[in-house]
Amino acid sequence: MLNSLLNKSWLKALPLLFLAVVLLFGWTPLVAADEEHDDAAPTAETAEENALPTDDLAAGKMIYEKLCISCHGIEGDGDGPAAVRFQPKPRSFKKAKYKYRTTPKGKLPTDEDLFRAITLGLPGTGMPDWADVLSEKKIRQVIKYIKSFSDEWEKQESSPHVVTVGTVVPTSPESVERGKKQFTALGCQLCHGTEGRGDGPTASALKNHRGDPVYPRNLNKNWLFRGGGKAEDIYVRVNTGLSGTPMPEFSGALDNEKSWDLANYVRSLSPEKTPERGSLIKARSIEETIPVDPDDPIWQEGEPTWFPMMGQISFEKRLFTPSVTDITVKSVFNEKEIGFLLIWDDRSKSKTSKPGAKKISFTDQVAIQFPEKLQPGGVKKPYFIMGDEKLGVNLWNWTSEDNRFFETNAYGVWNNSEVEQSGSDISGKGYYKNGQYRLVIKRSFQTSDSEKDIQFEKGIFYPVAFFAMDGTNGEKGSQRSITPWYFVFMEPEEDKSVYYYPPIVIALVFGLEFILVKILKKNHKKENV
Amino acid sequence: MKMPLVAKASACVFGFFLFLKLGLPLFTSPLPYSVLAMYMILVLISTLLYVSIFEDDYSNFYLPIVKFLRGDEGDNAVRKMSRIAVFVMIPLFMGFRTYKSVQPNFEPPFPQRVIHPAPPGSAAGFVNPYGGDEANHEKYVQEGRKVYYENCVFCHGDKLDGKGFFANALNVKPANFADPTTISMLQESFVFWRVKTGGIGLPEEATPWDSAMPRWELILSEEERWKAVMFLYDYTGWKPRTWELDAE
Repeated sequence: MLNSLLNKSWLKALPLLFLAVVLLFGWTPLVAADEEHDDAAPTAETAEENALPTDDLAAGKMIYEKLCISCHGIEGDGDGPAAVRFQPKPRSFKKAKYKYRTTPKGKLPTDEDLFRAITLGLPGTGMPDWADVLSEKKIRQVIKYIKSFSDEWEKQESSPHVVTVGTVVPTSPESVERGKKQFTALGCQLCHGTEGRGDGPTASALKNHRGDPVYPRNLNKNWLFRGGGKAEDIYVRVNTGLSGTPMPEFSGALDNEKSWDLANYVRSLSPEKTPERGSLIKARSIEETIPVDPDDPIWQEGEPTWFPMMGQISFEKRLFTPSVTDITVKSVFNEKEIGFLLIWDDRSKSKTSKPGAKKISFTDQVAIQFPEKLQPGGVKKPYFIMGDEKLGVNLWNWTSEDNRFFETNAYGVWNNSEVEQSGSDISGKGYYKNGQYRLVIKRSFQTSDSEKDIQFEKGIFYPVAFFAMDGTNGEKGSQRSITPWYFVFMEPEEDKSVYYYPPIVIALVFGLEFILVKILKKNHKKENV
Repeated sequence: MKMPLVAKASACVFGFFLFLKLGLPLFTSPLPYSVLAMYMILVLISTLLYVSIFEDDYSNFYLPIVKFLRGDEGDNAVRKMSRIAVFVMIPLFMGFRTYKSVQPNFEPPFPQRVIHPAPPGSAAGFVNPYGGDEANHEKYVQEGRKVYYENCVFCHGDKLDGKGFFANALNVKPANFADPTTISMLQESFVFWRVKTGGIGLPEEATPWDSAMPRWELILSEEERWKAVMFLYDYTGWKPRTWELDAE
């Protein structure tokens, strides 16, 4: 009786084994891409940890000469090698003019102010956050050394007045509204612009204490605020101003509540969370003709994709201080066409300067880059900056000055290979308002020139990259803001068979279970007989 | 009380799974899915072998399962409910997995990028002309610092950690020289080759079209490039990998 059960038991164990495997690993094939893991590793600590001098000043000097001289210079006058291409220039500790303080404008900062700047760094500049490399003790030692570069520190009054953040006025529509009134009443828009994009009428003429041009902050991107992007940081900033720049201190005009209102308003100009770098533009399917008006309701819908940009520094002429820091993209498609909405901030609407003008400027320009042709497998691409000799790129360009849409092909930056096409298949509309460009470019999927123009189909990933040039910043040709390759994708209509298979599988498995139980019961009865 | 064999077997399989999935990553990098699956199949097969090798063990293992699936008249409500639950859950789960696998899954083409590809033969011949000059080492390093801060700092960063202020705009992240797995694992000649020919000089398996590393031979002299490489090693404290070390 038991024997017969055991003889058959191997067979019976099979479905169990099968079920167990499925339950453990699911239905997916047993191959999957290796997950990438963070290669975060601690920065190499200095080996001379134990050999550090006990004297704080000497220890600070040692750290300074290892970590700080590249920008701030061995003499502390802000002329290290990095000063050549950094804008803004590294601080001169000899001049001791510090922008980010809690003390009144023109006064020296507190040690805590310096500690903060070193620990958190200055976002958007070459000054990194040092907290992962330097202990608090070491930072204090460096501060001591930095202060030794200027005798201003000895001359200062004993305890400077320090702006402290008073009772918090939490952000609310009312507070933001009051802050907006403050913003206008204090004249902030004269430099920072009506919507705060650093495009005010006086913005282009501003200079710092060195005579270098300075640009009012674009208040719509708080992740680039040097002194911190939180409301309380803004509170301190409007009360203390920025020494060595035209940014005034408004402490005389602002009490605690007004400071908070203004800070809440400025904070409200930026998104609640810093946007995350996208990798794929998912085009949205629409029935209608693609509207060329960037303000059309169709363009209000759909999730935008955000791409940070960098200066082109691979080929001469290089651009180390780009003006356009990021671009926001939406895409839609219908049966025949694909369209893109591009949104990017620019301090000014630029014009080509006349010959012999003191300040040279060009038109503002933007381009969407595609490969001329997709390569088999879709992995291989042209070089991401304007292609290469073997694989060309197809560029959709727009210049703001003459509102011109045109296509080019390029085969590398280094050989001036960009050629304009005789006819253009793209169309669209763009405009500049309050420090921001909004532009629609569209094209039909197929064109008559399949050699030079990318041809589109649904369900395929197309490499795409973006370029932007701010003509007032002297950007032209290879001097431009760039992105690496990303993808754009048009999802094809859903295949209904997706909904047929699962019920079939459920029925089958249920049937198998039923048969299994039947067999088990039958055997059991036999044993009991 | 003795633990039933079924419980022991499942505890063994589940324990292994937990160890591989959660325990191991504490000591080393997490296992890729395919390797985890392979280990688990081995564990499962060995467990089933173990429980079926002796007849007594086998019936001890097998009977409770059979009883559960078959259902006995004396079963209490809990047993009945859990039995129904198991019979409903399995087909539903399978249906869900099927849906997941037939659902159109649009993934961009993903290249298996080789990070340190084999350099071309010509790269082996690169020899640091300042290598033996210990007396002037510090001078060259300081000149390299200048090259670095005029050209490289924008992406590779002030801390040489690959977090320069352009880094977030890049898809292939700039190399982190402070990390023990970058320049310390490479020979000086390899690093020099990467600086010289840049991303565009990489072989195809390393996706040269995606790398933003400039081809520095177009911009910097050979001397400047060697000094920059010397600065990287001096600042981070790493030593370049050498043939002598390999031979040890």
